[in-house]
Amino acid sequence: MTAPLSTGLPGGAGTAASDPGDAVPAPDAEAPASPWRLTWSRLRRRRIALVGLAIIAFFVLTAAFAPLITAVSGHGPTDTDKKSVDPYLGGLPRGTLGGVSPSHWLGVEPMLGRDVFARLLYGAQVSLLVAFSAALMITLIGVLLGITAGYFGGRTDTVISRFMDVMMSFPSLIFMMALLSVVKDVNRVLLLIVVMSLFSWPYIARVIRGQTMSLKHREYVEAARVSGTSSARILFTEILPNLTGTIIVYVTLAIPGLIGTEAGLTYLGVGVRPPTPSWGQMIADSALYYKVDPMFFVLPSACLFLVVLAFTLLGDALRDALDPKGSRT
Amino acid sequence: MTRRTHTALAAAIAAALTLGLGACSSSTGGDSAAVDGKGITTEGNGIIGGTPVKGGTLNILSNQDFSQLDPTRNWVEPEMDFGLRTLYRTLTTFKAAPGAEGLQIVPDLATDLGTPSDNGKTWTFRLKDGLKYEDGSPIVTDDIKYNVERSFSPELPGGPDYAKQYLNAPKGYAGPLKGQRLGKEAIEVPDAKTIVFHLKRPVAEFGYTVTLPTFAPVPVAKETGANYSNHPFSSGPYKIDSYDRGKRLVLVRNTNWDPGTDTVRKAYPDKIVVDQTLGSAGIADRLVADQGDDKNAIMYADLTPAKIPDVITNPSVKSRLVSQSEGCTAMLDMNTSKAPFDNPKLRLAMQYAVDKDAFQASVGGPALSDIATSYLPPALTGGSPVDHFKIPVAGDPAKAKQLLADAGFANGFSTEITVSTGAKQQAEAVQAALKKFNINVTINAVDASVTNSVIGSKDKQTGLAITGWCPDYPSAATFLPMIFDGRSIVDTGNQGDVTRFNDPAVNAELDRIAALTDVKAANDAYLALNDKIMDESPAVPMSWQKKPLLVGSNIAGAYANSVWSGELDYAAIGLKSVK
Amino acid sequence: MTGFLIRRLLGIAATLLVICAVTFCIFYLLPNDPATQFCGKDCAPDQIALVRKQMGLDAPLIVQFGHYVAAIFAGRTMGSGQYAVQCGFPCFGYSFQSGRPVWDLMMDRLPTSASLAVGAALLWVLFGISAGVLSALRKNSWIDRTVMVGTIGAAALPVYFTAMILLYVVVTVLNLIPYPRYIAFSEDPVGWLRNLILPWVTLALASAAIYARMTRSSVIETLAEPFVRTARAKGLRERRVVAKHGLRPALTPVVTMLGMDLGSLLAGAMITESLFGLPGVGKLFADSLNKSDQPVIMGITLLASFFIVSSNLVVDLVYAWIDPRARLS
Repeated sequence: MTAPLSTGLPGGAGTAASDPGDAVPAPDAEAPASPWRLTWSRLRRRRIALVGLAIIAFFVLTAAFAPLITAVSGHGPTDTDKKSVDPYLGGLPRGTLGGVSPSHWLGVEPMLGRDVFARLLYGAQVSLLVAFSAALMITLIGVLLGITAGYFGGRTDTVISRFMDVMMSFPSLIFMMALLSVVKDVNRVLLLIVVMSLFSWPYIARVIRGQTMSLKHREYVEAARVSGTSSARILFTEILPNLTGTIIVYVTLAIPGLIGTEAGLTYLGVGVRPPTPSWGQMIADSALYYKVDPMFFVLPSACLFLVVLAFTLLGDALRDALDPKGSRT
Repeated sequence: MTRRTHTALAAAIAAALTLGLGACSSSTGGDSAAVDGKGITTEGNGIIGGTPVKGGTLNILSNQDFSQLDPTRNWVEPEMDFGLRTLYRTLTTFKAAPGAEGLQIVPDLATDLGTPSDNGKTWTFRLKDGLKYEDGSPIVTDDIKYNVERSFSPELPGGPDYAKQYLNAPKGYAGPLKGQRLGKEAIEVPDAKTIVFHLKRPVAEFGYTVTLPTFAPVPVAKETGANYSNHPFSSGPYKIDSYDRGKRLVLVRNTNWDPGTDTVRKAYPDKIVVDQTLGSAGIADRLVADQGDDKNAIMYADLTPAKIPDVITNPSVKSRLVSQSEGCTAMLDMNTSKAPFDNPKLRLAMQYAVDKDAFQASVGGPALSDIATSYLPPALTGGSPVDHFKIPVAGDPAKAKQLLADAGFANGFSTEITVSTGAKQQAEAVQAALKKFNINVTINAVDASVTNSVIGSKDKQTGLAITGWCPDYPSAATFLPMIFDGRSIVDTGNQGDVTRFNDPAVNAELDRIAALTDVKAANDAYLALNDKIMDESPAVPMSWQKKPLLVGSNIAGAYANSVWSGELDYAAIGLKSVK
Repeated sequence: MTGFLIRRLLGIAATLLVICAVTFCIFYLLPNDPATQFCGKDCAPDQIALVRKQMGLDAPLIVQFGHYVAAIFAGRTMGSGQYAVQCGFPCFGYSFQSGRPVWDLMMDRLPTSASLAVGAALLWVLFGISAGVLSALRKNSWIDRTVMVGTIGAAALPVYFTAMILLYVVVTVLNLIPYPRYIAFSEDPVGWLRNLILPWVTLALASAAIYARMTRSSVIETLAEPFVRTARAKGLRERRVVAKHGLRPALTPVVTMLGMDLGSLLAGAMITESLFGLPGVGKLFADSLNKSDQPVIMGITLLASFFIVSSNLVVDLVYAWIDPRARLS
């Protein structure tokens, strides 16, 4: 269960959320078999979820091994190949299908003649890195604040909840754009991760808070409390393990949104900067050529589509498997 | 594309000098086309669609608002072209014609090209009869005087500063907004029809100076200070019906404009609508598609390079492309005031390191540009290009590596390049070429409207920038002294010498040439100086471009002129037929 | 009820003040000196100093902030001397670029954004909810499966792709309508409709898919609730059960989401607006950001936040009306 989700990115969303679940035997006596085994067996029966998983695995692997793969294909993401474009046609790729050839497997970009295949691979690296890291950050912040607010209640809850309310009243896209354009001379990828996380954590925090509030009154939690177990221990051994399902589902479903946001911000010109390839940037460039170079136009959008689709499929299946009621709170 | 076009003033002077020099060809194709032979030229002998009919609505598709339509503050193309041809008239103006004819000036509000006296230190103009504003009130010379005074106002910055330079005005005069008017020692208005300018020194080409919008009339009663840009009071063939800044400008006929007094403006369309909300790609798509109202449309800013394939792969679309030489040189500027580009050896290495071939591809390829080999464009070097270094078009990596090593940068370095958002691909071309030498370039793409303020600021200026310079008229006197005279450098708002190149020897030589009376000797000296500055290498000349502008299939009278930096002349454009 | 409203309105005011302060701090850090920009080219340092003074940029940050907030309610006089302008309530200052009042600029653009957002919302609500309900009532039928596969794909489609494909097919190939541009409803209602169809479809497609999926699961869940079973047991006809008891509570989460989406869309449809060149608030924001036009950026940020917080309030009110179980407290 943990393996496919955390591939390629140490400390990816999957690992962080599921480790406690594996380490601590689930005290919830409702399921006779281990919930993880149950989930996996449910998941395995859904072919569509496996398709999603396979697509994700494919992109994660190709992104992780991009340098190796491009070494074989022969072109790096920023290498220009002037001979592959026709200057007299305003830099259109020579040959059919956007310049597909044994040397350029998926053709070249118009004008500069950069290899589309290499740029897609490295673009996947950026898109997935940003999305996974942001997912990890919102999980950490969201779970920490949500669980604290839900468990301790009272004034702590009021303060955290107000804070979440204010954060959710921020027009997030507008603020992300503003922040990204204000801050200069900073690693753009890191900045994107921070800015995107900043405005996305309250949503998961709210869900976690609600769940924690209902878990808090379960008998085994009450029992632990009466027997003098410390709050921290209760939180980590009694409550958190019961939240892992929700967290995993939520994170899986949040990732496509994060990938889309990264692409959108870069499309609007405030995300990663050239020559770092990213799908958003490729889409912005390729949209100009939709008529004269359809191949170049379709490819980055298709990649984005596939990855978003795959995460949605997997997330849906996970939700059904982990939480048969299908509630979204 | 940043084009600092301190244009036209002298553009006109052009006429006079050029004719004398015989340097400018009379064909409309432009100079760079002749160099390559494969460049695109405007069809129909330079005029697309023949002569327009009267009436109809001309749509202008734009991705930007005019920065200033106030005549006092209007000093960039194509805004000057647009304002002067539709909304305000000046004492003299340029003929509405393609090619060399368009470089000639004719009387506009004035009855002649001005009468000099006192050795050219005093200039007298008389107004024609029957001149009226949009409300029917008469145009009087005091209104022209008032607008000239406005150009002294710190509240109304940005416009041509020739009046300030030439007029015999008291020191510290700060414009008429607080009620102070200029005295007789500067401008005399003996009656409503006569205006007399008193200059500090003789200015032989003052007849050309008064083509600038500074010399359009603005009635005192209509003064609204900085808001005058939102509604300039019309003396031209059109008046503002509505102007929603950044969204839409609608011009309708000024019925009080008498065509009998105006030999230049043809004013064919009944209405002109400028739509300012579009994206440059959308504008190109619409004009390529050529449907409905877009048949009556033209583009305001250049066709975006990414859409050039759409145009040149389709003959019927290509036939609607106006492409006139801008007469400018696009350059990669290096900030010579800061490390690492304060090192002349490094700057020289850059001449060999850049890949002009790739750069050319990013500005539309050889069909729309030539590779620049010197600062001075071919029009200023006797019609054919000068090549000082004879570097292969794609650069000379071996030589560049050696020079970089000599300069102490064998392992490369990191720097930043400032470009306007529209020129991102050009920056990427530079970035890709320099990457091969371990020179890591970060692209700082800013909106065209703020590019100049970034590049012109001592603190914000980056190591590299891509800008261009256009001569005010075909003489090297409007080129090298404007961009390489180190004494003109200021901390903020630095405009001409953006490389902050300051070499006393060059400055001295510039002064020596300026004093030469023999035009030929001066030209030869400028050529030699061009090479000398190339050796010091404050900038790398990149390309000589044409301005590609696509027009709709129902557009007639579409031609461009280098007086307007290759922009369409709005005086004679109109529709082929009106439904 | 009145108490609730007053408390909520106070909360909204406090939230907006916080957002205003945060925005002010961010934009104070914007890289371009507004005075230099306002001044134009060939601007001498003393001129810049004069402009700074006129614009009140020489005052300390906190003073500037005070002036800004006060001006929103009381207006203020900008500039000095004969040509000073009185900026009336609600004063958000003047654009550095065009010199026009920010409020006027935003109100100019709002009809475009509202046309886009409301039209698209109508489309997605209509198609999304009906597809969702249909799917839920015919659970596991071929209709359900088709809808679910369709929605999962549609939700993953990047808007850039949808927009370009629609443009290409509808405008270039089929020649059904000319290239869209914005025409005000008051000017030409038919033209308005014809030119907005493509942007509406583009914007609505993904949302319709999400709404369909959400509606489906919500309806399925509600129909399994005890009170629905009771209604059935009472012998009511199935159609009546669904219409009267099932749909209303099932649509509560959908209404919540619709309110939030509409609120954020009014000023946040940057991508769709730039793809189609629609002169909306989002495009104004993106343009102003490029030009560092601080007053406009701030104004739009506040406007967008206002929409979000007030749409939350409206959602709460509608919620109470739709679902009698929810009480305002």
